[in-house]
Amino acid sequence: MDSRKILIVDDNADIRLGMHVRLKANRYETFFAADAFSGVAEARKHRPDLIILDLGLPGDDGFTVMERLKQVPFLAVIPIIVVSARNGLANQKRAYDAGAKAFLQKPVNDAELLAVIRQSLGETTKDKEIYSL
Amino acid sequence: MKEKALQVLVVEDNAGDVRLLREMFNGERPGSFELTHLLRLSEAEAYLAKGGVDITLLDMGLPDGHGLETVRRAHAAAPDVPLIILTGLDDEALAGEAMTQGAQDYMIKGQIEARALPRALRHAIERHRMQTETDLIRTHQMQFKDEFLSHVSHELRSPLTAVRQFVTILLDGLAGEMNSEQHEYLEIVLKNVKQLHSMINDLFEVSGIQAGKLKIELQCTSVSDAVVYTVNTLQGAAVAKGIILSSDFEHKLPLVYADPARLRQILVILVDNATKFTPTNGAVKIQVGVFEEDPTFLLVEVADSGCGIELDMTERIFERLVQASDPDAADRNGLGLGLYICKDLVTRQGGQIWAKSTPGQGSVFSVTLPIFSLPKLLAPAFNEKDQTERPITLVVTEIGSQTGWLSNEVRAEQCRGIRDLLRGCLHSDLDILLPKIDFAGPAELFFIAAITDGLGGEAISKRIRKQLDSSERLQQAGLTQSTSYRLLDPIQRNSTESMEDYLEKVAANIQEQMNKEILSRQVSNG
Repeated sequence: MDSRKILIVDDNADIRLGMHVRLKANRYETFFAADAFSGVAEARKHRPDLIILDLGLPGDDGFTVMERLKQVPFLAVIPIIVVSARNGLANQKRAYDAGAKAFLQKPVNDAELLAVIRQSLGETTKDKEIYSL
Repeated sequence: MKEKALQVLVVEDNAGDVRLLREMFNGERPGSFELTHLLRLSEAEAYLAKGGVDITLLDMGLPDGHGLETVRRAHAAAPDVPLIILTGLDDEALAGEAMTQGAQDYMIKGQIEARALPRALRHAIERHRMQTETDLIRTHQMQFKDEFLSHVSHELRSPLTAVRQFVTILLDGLAGEMNSEQHEYLEIVLKNVKQLHSMINDLFEVSGIQAGKLKIELQCTSVSDAVVYTVNTLQGAAVAKGIILSSDFEHKLPLVYADPARLRQILVILVDNATKFTPTNGAVKIQVGVFEEDPTFLLVEVADSGCGIELDMTERIFERLVQASDPDAADRNGLGLGLYICKDLVTRQGGQIWAKSTPGQGSVFSVTLPIFSLPKLLAPAFNEKDQTERPITLVVTEIGSQTGWLSNEVRAEQCRGIRDLLRGCLHSDLDILLPKIDFAGPAELFFIAAITDGLGGEAISKRIRKQLDSSERLQQAGLTQSTSYRLLDPIQRNSTESMEDYLEKVAANIQEQMNKEILSRQVSNG
C-alpha cells in the first residue's frame, strides 16, 4: 500500500522540516507550502490525504486557504488539521466552523499530532501498527 | 483672532439666582462667555445631548429632579461636559457626594465671588480636559501593553515549536542513536522548553486578565472530577521528584457553580506550585469538603510539606510577579504569575483564595467555590432591587402532569422535591403570571418553561402560548413573544432520571437560555 500523503502549510521552514522528519518516520509522504497561494496550488497538484495548516501565513491566512479548498469539490473533502500559535477559543471555533478536523496549539506535542492525524485519516492505532511493519 | 465664546449651560429654576449669575459675567470681555438658561432637568438633558456645551452649572433642586439624581442624569446626558453643582449652604455634604457621581466641583450660592466665577469655569474646563486626556493616555497604554503581551506570547510560540520538534526528534532516535549522556542532556532541554511554554501561556493569560477578555463559563461542575484530572496530570512529575501526591474527598460531594476548565487550571497551578516547593520525600495532598464557616461553599485545600511561606508574604504572593523566595528550591522557576492568575479565576467564580503557612513545615492553599443551588442561581432574578437594573429577570414555570395545566395537587408527592427547591422564586399560576408581565412593562423579559413530570409538556406549553398570545391585555401593552417573553421547550423528566439530575437539567436549561439572551442583548447594544 502506498504511503498516505500529507501537505504541510506553514511559513516557518524549520517547523516544516521538523514535521517532515517526524511524519517520514511514521511512513507518511510529505509536501510543503509556505503561503496560502502555494498551499492551494500544492493541494491541487498532489491531492494529499490530509493537510496540516498554519493560520498565520504571509499574505492571506489559513482561513483563506480553507475557504478556497472548499470551493473545489475534490479538495473540499481533504481533512484539515489546524496547527497555530494563535490564541483563544475564537480562533479555535472559527477553525472548526470552517471545517477543520482538529485544532492544535503550538508548540505542538508530536505524539498528539500523530494521534490526531491517524484519527483524521480514519486509521486506528492497530491499523497503523500493521501498516508500518 | 476672535476667541470662540465658551458655552455655559445654567440649569436653575430660581430666576433671582440666574440673574445674580449673569451679573457675575459683566466684567468679562463681551463674547467670551455665552450663557444658556434652562429651568428643567429634562430640557437640560435634551440640550446637552445635542452637544456644543462647554460647561454646565447645575442646581440640585429642580422641578423635575432632586439631589444626586439630577447629577447622575445630567452627567449621563453628556459625560464629556464638566459639571459644576450649585448648592445651598445646608447642602454642602450632599454636594460633596455629587462629586462621586460625575460632578467636577461645587459652588455654594451666596458665597460665590463675582469675579472668581468666570475664572473658576475656565479652570474647571481646563481641568476636565486634562483629566480626559490623562484617562485616554492611560487607556491607550493599557491597551498597548495587552496587545504587546498577546503578540509576544504568540510570536514566541513558533520558534519554540521548532525547538521542541527537533529535541523530541533527537530524543526519539529519529536522527540516529544517542548515548545516555546526550539523552540526559536533551531531556534537560525538553524540560526547559516545557517550562518556557507554560510561561508563555501565563503571559497570555495575564494579558487576557488585564484586558478583561478572559472568558468564564459558569455551570454545574464536579470538583472531584477536577481533582482526579489534576492528580493524573501531575502524578508523573511528583513521582519523578519523589513526592507523594494524594487526594481525599467524600464520595458524594455537592457540585459547584464554576467553569470546569478554569477549575482544573486553578488546581493544576496550585498543585504544580506545591510540588515545586516541596523537597524530595515530601507530600502534597488535595482535600475537598463542605466549607464549615459557610456551608454554601466547598473548600478545596492543597497542602504541602514544603519550605513554607514567610508570614508577611501569605497575602503578597497573590500579587503579580511576586514569588516567595526559597534558597533550597533549585528548580523554582516561572514568572510569578500563577497565583495571580489563580486568584483572578477564583474571584471571578465567586470564591476566595488564601494561604496559611508555617515556615519550614509547609503551606496550605485554600480555595472556596459556591455550591450549585438552583434557588440561589435564580434568586437574583427575583430581587426587587435588581429588577430595575437587569431587564432579564423572571422565570415562570409550571409543574404539571398529563392531566393538565394548573393541577398542582396531582402527583404532589413527585413534585414536592422540585417545589421545595423552587419555592419563593417561581410563579406557577397564569393568574399571577399575566398581571406580572403586564405590570413589568417592555423592559423586562420573562422565561416561561413548563416543567413536567411526565408526558404532556408539549400540550402545556401550547396552552400557555395560546393564552399568552391571545391575551388582549398583553397585546395592548405591546408585549409579545418576540419582545417580552420566551417560551422555552418543555423540560421533561425521564423515568430513569433522578430528581437531582432532573433539577440540574432544568437549571442548566434555563441558565443557558438566559445566557444566550444576555449575550444577544449585549451584541445588539454594541
